[in-house]
Amino acid sequence: MLRYILKRLAFLPVVMFGVTLLLFICLQTLSPAMRASLYVKDPRQLAQLDAVIEKYGLNKPVYVQYGIWLRQVAHGDLGYSETAKMPVAEAIRSFLPATIELTVLAFFPILFVGVTFGVLSAVYRDRLIDHVTRFVAITGYSLPSFVLGLILLMIFYGRLHWLPPGRYTLDSDMLIHGDRFRHWSGLLTLDCALNRQWSAALDVAKHMVLPACTLLYISVALLLRITRSAMLEELGRDYVRTARAKGLPESVVVRKHALANVLIPIVTLSSLLFVGLLGGVVITETVFDFPGIGRWGVQAAQQLDVPGVLGSTMLAAFLFVLANLLSDVLYALVDPRIRVGA
Amino acid sequence: MLKYCLCAILTAWAFSASVSAAPKHPDTFTYLTISDSDSLDPAWSYDVSSHAIILNVYEPLFTYDHGSTEKILPLLAEKVPTRENGLISADGRTYTIALRAGVKFHDGSPMTPEDARYSIIRFMLADRAGGPSSLLLEPLVGYSATRDDKGTINPKVWEDANRAVSVQGTNLILRLPRPYAPLLSILAMWAPVVSKTWAAKNGDWDGTEATWTRLNNFRKESSPFFERANGTGPFKLERWDRKTKEFILTRNDNYWRSPARLKNIVVKGVNEFGTRKLMLEAGDADAIYADRPLLTQVKNLPGVKIIDDLPTLEMNPMVFFTYHINTVGNAFVGSGALDGNGIPPDFFSDKDVRKAFAYSFDYRGYINDVMRGKGTQARGAIPKALLGYAPNQPVYSLDSKKAAEHLKTAWGGKVWEKGFSFTLAFNAGNLQRQTVSQILKRNVEALNPKFKIDVRGVEWPTFLDAQKDSKLPIFIMGWNADFPDPHNFAFPILHSLGQFPKYQKFSNPEMDRLVEQANQTTDIAQRKRLYEQLQALEYEEVPCLVLIDMVVYRTQRDWVKGWYWDPIFPDGPYSSYYYPLTKE
Repeated sequence: MLRYILKRLAFLPVVMFGVTLLLFICLQTLSPAMRASLYVKDPRQLAQLDAVIEKYGLNKPVYVQYGIWLRQVAHGDLGYSETAKMPVAEAIRSFLPATIELTVLAFFPILFVGVTFGVLSAVYRDRLIDHVTRFVAITGYSLPSFVLGLILLMIFYGRLHWLPPGRYTLDSDMLIHGDRFRHWSGLLTLDCALNRQWSAALDVAKHMVLPACTLLYISVALLLRITRSAMLEELGRDYVRTARAKGLPESVVVRKHALANVLIPIVTLSSLLFVGLLGGVVITETVFDFPGIGRWGVQAAQQLDVPGVLGSTMLAAFLFVLANLLSDVLYALVDPRIRVGA
Repeated sequence: MLKYCLCAILTAWAFSASVSAAPKHPDTFTYLTISDSDSLDPAWSYDVSSHAIILNVYEPLFTYDHGSTEKILPLLAEKVPTRENGLISADGRTYTIALRAGVKFHDGSPMTPEDARYSIIRFMLADRAGGPSSLLLEPLVGYSATRDDKGTINPKVWEDANRAVSVQGTNLILRLPRPYAPLLSILAMWAPVVSKTWAAKNGDWDGTEATWTRLNNFRKESSPFFERANGTGPFKLERWDRKTKEFILTRNDNYWRSPARLKNIVVKGVNEFGTRKLMLEAGDADAIYADRPLLTQVKNLPGVKIIDDLPTLEMNPMVFFTYHINTVGNAFVGSGALDGNGIPPDFFSDKDVRKAFAYSFDYRGYINDVMRGKGTQARGAIPKALLGYAPNQPVYSLDSKKAAEHLKTAWGGKVWEKGFSFTLAFNAGNLQRQTVSQILKRNVEALNPKFKIDVRGVEWPTFLDAQKDSKLPIFIMGWNADFPDPHNFAFPILHSLGQFPKYQKFSNPEMDRLVEQANQTTDIAQRKRLYEQLQALEYEEVPCLVLIDMVVYRTQRDWVKGWYWDPIFPDGPYSSYYYPLTKE
């Protein structure tokens, strides 16, 4: 197993190289003036468009530009992201922890709600709970996240003043950026707790409740439906009938027999959901003014910020490969019949 | 359980309605914007968002008197130089500026005349591609760039800059190669005073000849001024959090005037309008960015005040005709010939075509319906708030008969006979420019069934690319003033070397002469006459359609006091100079 994991990890740089090369070539098909739009946003700058192209080397051949970028990467420099206004590595370090916090806060409830209610709706097919979960799944799947986000904001912030948007209040901001605050992990809730700043920790957590709820509602739909349909299929199989005929309690039949056999699609879907959340959820981050990695990645793409696009893509590729690897490992754990690399 | 939750929510809901409207966070002013700042380096920044922060942290030599666009007051200077007080020489080429004593930077060090000299020279020599340095290079050394087209530095620059800016005792002396009327206006907005010692200590240019070329066209992130600041202004930069797109300014308690009443300023980027509006309603924001189409959504919010009808120094939108279109690989011109399926490269060089388009725009309808009755039809390139505005200048109005007459005459009658087809592109997402394009399309196409205009929204990079190569038959853009002087409108819009005519391939030697002459004279009456002549020519020549003299509005909480409209302040009226503000 360890050998398999190392082999997959060794393959990672090749994947990332391939992805960046492909992206770089795609971006270079755009004219220098189009790529200069990243630096020229105002008519007042139009007169110096050629100077901008010259300054940033946008008219150099593709291989020269890619070579320069690769050399930078080899020296541990991923370039400067104009959209983040900071070096790419720093941008990843800045934006990723916020996204990780939000992902963790949203993912486990998604997993719990998705699997639990997916199973229940299969067991109690066409009963009230099935209708309710179907309604939740359909609305969650079809409701645009910005609409849901704004509705939640209107109720819980605009009206009730309970859960504000953003990352933290000004008081927490001052405290977190004060000299005495130690940044252990970059995960603000954890750092606040480790610094024994409980009110700041609560404040940071409060700011994540609404985006996490939005993500829960819009992301749980797929897991609900997949779990339900997989469970329905399993509950109709012979071995389940046999287990029931043996007189096993229904809860044991469902949990230990049927559920154990639907874990493979659940693991696959969950790993994709996790990567999706980690890769950033642009709309939710925008509505709740949450400084995550997704918002940065999309802005970089929209503004043709080449180092930003390459950096965020490398991160996404890394996460994707890692999540696939993790799900492969989990397959072996949830189903002993699968022996990876055997 | 569900019942209890619902009860709790409904009770809180009912309670929330009765919350009083006392200022939340009375010492802190929060402004929510959509703009993304570029750099806090005064020699780099050319975007309104950064500039608005810079002018609260640093201070220029002069300022404008409470929103006036004409009356200049001293700020870090002791007096405003005039010919009458002898601080401007008789030939208009030497300015003597005495600096205010007792001013300290935020780090406690005193401001000296050498700091002011360093700041102006640094502003000029930095000259980054696409930056603001030309604003001072042009008046002080007589040319607008420190490098030639190949990027080679002009060897005379160092000498010229040092000849132009010097210190004599406690005075700063500016020597101009020729008189330049808007100089003080520029110095009231640009090149604020930075500390030379702080700059050198933090790795920036040390002010010597040996190292200045390293400053030229520098990368913004390499400058210590990029995200840190040490100015003399009423607020100190506490932090620019680029992750949360947030600026935090704190009061300068050692300010040379009395300290500001507000303790903290938060300027934060929140792109989603719904979120900005909710934060304003909740009292967590004191002012937000909301442009004209959003007025109806903020108009009747409790506790929110709308201050409308504020005249601007912005001409937006303007419709520019390209006189010589580049047809190589150009999909915007159809067949590229006057055959009914396209237009020839010089289609708009015929004055009759331009006039026909000018008579095809519904100016009144646009103001009434799109701008909701706000603003007036522009009478030329120079806005109402500036010297040179020509109130009696004739204007075009929607007149399909005259439009048809001109198109029947254009190109010897071929236009009417064969028809034409081209694409009118605007930068996607800009609703106003889209509407202008559609109005033109509808009215021109109604003249003759053989006329076809395809209106298409293109992304900014595509738009920029096509414009750079003069591929757009018509392009719609706007212009914000760098400084409140008619030259800042006349040159970019009407001079052959200006930002827009360069891409239009438009040139009129008489208009060039008038722009240059008006810029060099300091006689106000004569300048006014020259600008009136210029706009009369503009009316006759029609190189572009300047549609509207805009008015804008500000959205703020009613507890904000002390705000006044300063049309030249960057990002106004949304952002502001925070020094006079209070929350009561």
